Amino acid sequence: MYDFKFTDIGEGLHEGQILKWFFKVGDTVKEGDTLCVVETDKVNAEIPSPVSGVLTKLGADVGQTIHVGETLVIIDESGKGAPAPAPAVEAPKTAAPAAPEVKKEKTEEKGAAVVGEVVVSDEVIASSNEGFENNEAPAAATSGKVLATPVARKMAADLGVNLASLKGTGEHGRIMKADILAAAKSVPQASSNASAPVASAPSVSMAMPALPKDGVRRVKISKLRQAIAKSMNTANALIPSTTLMDEFDVSKLVEFRASQKDKLLEKGVKLTYLPFIVKAVTMAIQEFPVFNASFDHETDEIVYKDFINIGLAVDTPDGLIVPNVKNADKKSIVTLAKEIETLGAATRNRTVKLEDLSNGTFSITNYGTTGIKLGTPVIKHPEVAILGVGSIYKKPIVENNQIVIRDVLPLSLTIDHRIIDGADGGRFLLKVKELLADPMQIFLFLS
Amino acid sequence: MIIGKFDPLKQQRFTVLDETGKIVNPSYEPKIDEATLLKMYRTMKLARIADIRALQYQRQGRMLTFAPVQGQEAAQIGTMAALDKNDWISPAFREHAAMLYHNVPLENIYLYWFGNERGSRVPDDVNVLPVNIPIGSQYGHAAGLAYASKLLKNNQQVAVTYIGDGGTSHGEFYEGLNFGSTFNVPMIGIIQNNQWAISTPRRKATKAATLAQKAYAVGIPGIQVDGNDVLAMYAVVKEAAERARKGEGPTLIEAFTYRLGPHTTSDDPTIYRKNEEVEEWKKRDPLIRFKAYMEAKNLWDDKKEAALDEELEAHVKATFEKVEKEGPVVSVDEVFDHTFATLTDDLKAQKAQYIQYVKETEGK
Amino acid sequence: MAEMTLLQAINTGLFEQMRKDKTVVVFGEDAGFEGGVFRVTKGLQEEFGELRCFDTPISEAGIVGSAIGMAINGLKPVAEMQFDGFMFNGYNQLAVHAARMRNRSRSRFTVPMVLRVPMGGGIRALEHHSEAIEALFAHIPGLKVVYPSTPYDAKGLLASAIQDPDPVIYLEPKKIYRAFKQDVPENEYLVPIGKAKVFYAAKDPNVTVVSWGAMVHDAVKAVRALEAEGVRAEVIDLRTISPIDYPTIYESVRKTGRLIVVSEAVKSFGVASEVITRVTENCFLSLEAAPARVTGWDITVPLARGEYHHMPDVKRISYDIKKLMAFKL
Repeated sequence: MYDFKFTDIGEGLHEGQILKWFFKVGDTVKEGDTLCVVETDKVNAEIPSPVSGVLTKLGADVGQTIHVGETLVIIDESGKGAPAPAPAVEAPKTAAPAAPEVKKEKTEEKGAAVVGEVVVSDEVIASSNEGFENNEAPAAATSGKVLATPVARKMAADLGVNLASLKGTGEHGRIMKADILAAAKSVPQASSNASAPVASAPSVSMAMPALPKDGVRRVKISKLRQAIAKSMNTANALIPSTTLMDEFDVSKLVEFRASQKDKLLEKGVKLTYLPFIVKAVTMAIQEFPVFNASFDHETDEIVYKDFINIGLAVDTPDGLIVPNVKNADKKSIVTLAKEIETLGAATRNRTVKLEDLSNGTFSITNYGTTGIKLGTPVIKHPEVAILGVGSIYKKPIVENNQIVIRDVLPLSLTIDHRIIDGADGGRFLLKVKELLADPMQIFLFLS
Repeated sequence: MIIGKFDPLKQQRFTVLDETGKIVNPSYEPKIDEATLLKMYRTMKLARIADIRALQYQRQGRMLTFAPVQGQEAAQIGTMAALDKNDWISPAFREHAAMLYHNVPLENIYLYWFGNERGSRVPDDVNVLPVNIPIGSQYGHAAGLAYASKLLKNNQQVAVTYIGDGGTSHGEFYEGLNFGSTFNVPMIGIIQNNQWAISTPRRKATKAATLAQKAYAVGIPGIQVDGNDVLAMYAVVKEAAERARKGEGPTLIEAFTYRLGPHTTSDDPTIYRKNEEVEEWKKRDPLIRFKAYMEAKNLWDDKKEAALDEELEAHVKATFEKVEKEGPVVSVDEVFDHTFATLTDDLKAQKAQYIQYVKETEGK
Repeated sequence: MAEMTLLQAINTGLFEQMRKDKTVVVFGEDAGFEGGVFRVTKGLQEEFGELRCFDTPISEAGIVGSAIGMAINGLKPVAEMQFDGFMFNGYNQLAVHAARMRNRSRSRFTVPMVLRVPMGGGIRALEHHSEAIEALFAHIPGLKVVYPSTPYDAKGLLASAIQDPDPVIYLEPKKIYRAFKQDVPENEYLVPIGKAKVFYAAKDPNVTVVSWGAMVHDAVKAVRALEAEGVRAEVIDLRTISPIDYPTIYESVRKTGRLIVVSEAVKSFGVASEVITRVTENCFLSLEAAPARVTGWDITVPLARGEYHHMPDVKRISYDIKKLMAFKL
């Protein structure tokens, strides 16, 4: 059975009206015979039969509309049941028999587009509700989203803080990063596991006891100080820490530095002990990668990092800020020296960039500049360790049963005792010590 | 009947008044009343003096780029004198003489060239569109203005439009003229053939021997006229206007004239044309012959000339000084408020933002 | 009230405005006797005569240029560019004159004209018949641009456009000229220029979808199908491209936190860019994800056979919405 569909006759038309049939059901047609004349917007088109056979169905009657894609005729090509050959009505080859009355009774428009095909359909869509009494008032009283920058939202997500529960201290109730940090120390609800000590964060009432009213002077702390206070609170609440201390002979390092620093100063590089310490730390990290990791207490996972970004605490007039040197393991002593100085200067005049303050993996704090030797530095969450560097000083020590004067460097290593035990801390510190005691060791083991 | 008698295809150019002021075609001498003749002469003088002064002010750094009209006064004033007060001008950018005759104050003209849109805000009863810089587009506007006249004013209002010889190469010249012709609207197209399009001589604009013959392409009459002959221009335009008002459609008139000055004050014509040519054309200056004509009619003399010069110089000077003082003042309202009839909310916000910025940074 | 297609709504609107105001004239190539190649202006010449509804020479610059002159001198011309791809010759007059005449003359001369342009693809036609260049009009100060997506809006916006004292570009989404019908009041009503419409709103929406023209319907189809997957959208139909109704968009984004713009135009430098920029400027603190857009590519609109690569369809719209919704902080 050949289902001959009415097609777009190439004028971009969509429908037509049957003007005349030259055959009826049961007639035999030959391929090429004109089956009918269809009136369209532009032309009256003769439709030739595509195949030979017997007409078994006419898709529309004279006067009816046929749309593109609908069946025009069905022809049985099988040759069976072919009745007597078609009688007199021979399809006239020349056109326009149905010409005279181009009756313009438009019941509906013809699908007109001189070029292209415009879909014609009788589908009805919903009425517009405009200008009519507003039946359903649109869902009023919708509370908008909380206001927070995308960066703040990410921080909140990372720290497990629910923004909707916070009261923002910013303009229009905007939730600031500080608000999030403050909230971060409290319980991240949802599925915590037993190993999360956070559950036991002090839920004590934080009310201040009354202070005397006379003889006191209240000074509001700066935004930076607020941030530091909150950060310290977080670390304190989250991390059970312990500090290992040692001091050891670095005379060779002192000598080496003394021999190099003038030459380097001529080249504009200020060589301190810090670059050496940073390098030694990165090498120790390579041997003990857990010191460079983070601990995800929500998933009980240690998050190891491919990058080693060493933070260096900088004392600024407003407070302590910790920028970090990216990929310190891949940089030379001299490069480290330069970067440390640049970062320090930028931090002190508060031009340091946000990216330099983020993504640190291990921090070093140098209180030696004030003459202090030993301390118990506070870990910078989400890091898991911090190295405190005291001032190098001359001390009498015992060597070969003799008393000798040597330059000693005091170091204090605070570790996150949830994932690092004392012995590990000791081994790490020992490694650092080995490298600094003889700077040639740095050169020998550098990879 | 002039139009139709002088066939541009036969190189026939219509003229009445020769260089010396003598009437060479007495049967075509238009009958113009005294008051109008005097107004015509006055305005030609005003246009000339204002032009010369503007060039000087520009060289003094007091005026911006200016397009002088020197040499073309007759082509323009002859046209406008033959039309009614309510007729439209759809100009290009070198029609100050026509504008002055058609009641645009000199102050407006100077203000526009001084760089302030206020200059284009002509009085409510003056039907002159603003200076039109994109060449050719003004012809389409004229066709539209005239179409509206056809529909609403029974063709009684004529729209005259101007273009230069170079401009006739532009598609929009043809499209506008064709539109006006197809719909048979009361339009008059003037071509000021001043022989130069900046540095391009007339013969390089088109191979057609005359520009007036382009009328044939759109099926309307075209005629080439001595553009420095104010009487000939008057006579032809008078006829063209009658045709238009009778519903007979547009006419294309080529005014054969000369640009005595540079294209604009930023142009140096000595680079591309010979001084001899300029000197030749100076002899054909429209003012010379018209003055002679007026004198022959006992309407003018040297004493009157001197007095007029003095009066116009003072007027031009005072006008420019006023423009110089008030011209630089452009308010924030002015640059925003005329974007739409009513500013959109966003534009209002933008304006407020800018005002805020100005306030905050005042004096800094 | 009568059920009509978008095309019929425009035709009805033209009859209405021409009967109401004798200064309204309609013209364009083949727009007079035949009623336009899409038959939008059909019947007008019969009723109003050749002076008010007429065929023009093939002369886009002439059409727009004379429309400007007519508008200045007391008529309300509704001129037509036969297809989007052919409007460029008329664009000169639009940009250098129609848009500027009011400002240039400090409101002494104004141009209350409408320019109708069938716009957009999806009709399998020849080259230059399927452009989506609304941004080119919107970028010119002094022009207003409207783009209805339903029969109701088409008639209401047409009335507003004709009655507006400044030039309005009236874009007609030819793909859906006759794709469906809607109830349209037969009396005069105005859809204001510059007001968008919340075309479809799920309860408690979590994403704002902004679109216009034919794309609105594909966007709605996409979001309805995605409701099963938790996507609850507010679909905003701009209706006016310039000036855009930002408050409606902002109100929605502040509720949902996510925005996606659906446009069939090429990707870059289009209307979508403007919407996203404004939302970023004004709803930054409410955003949960970067605003997104579903658009064509920065390529020439392909001919009929290859067009599907370029024009967003329900499938691609759904895909991009899902991608947007999947973004978690």
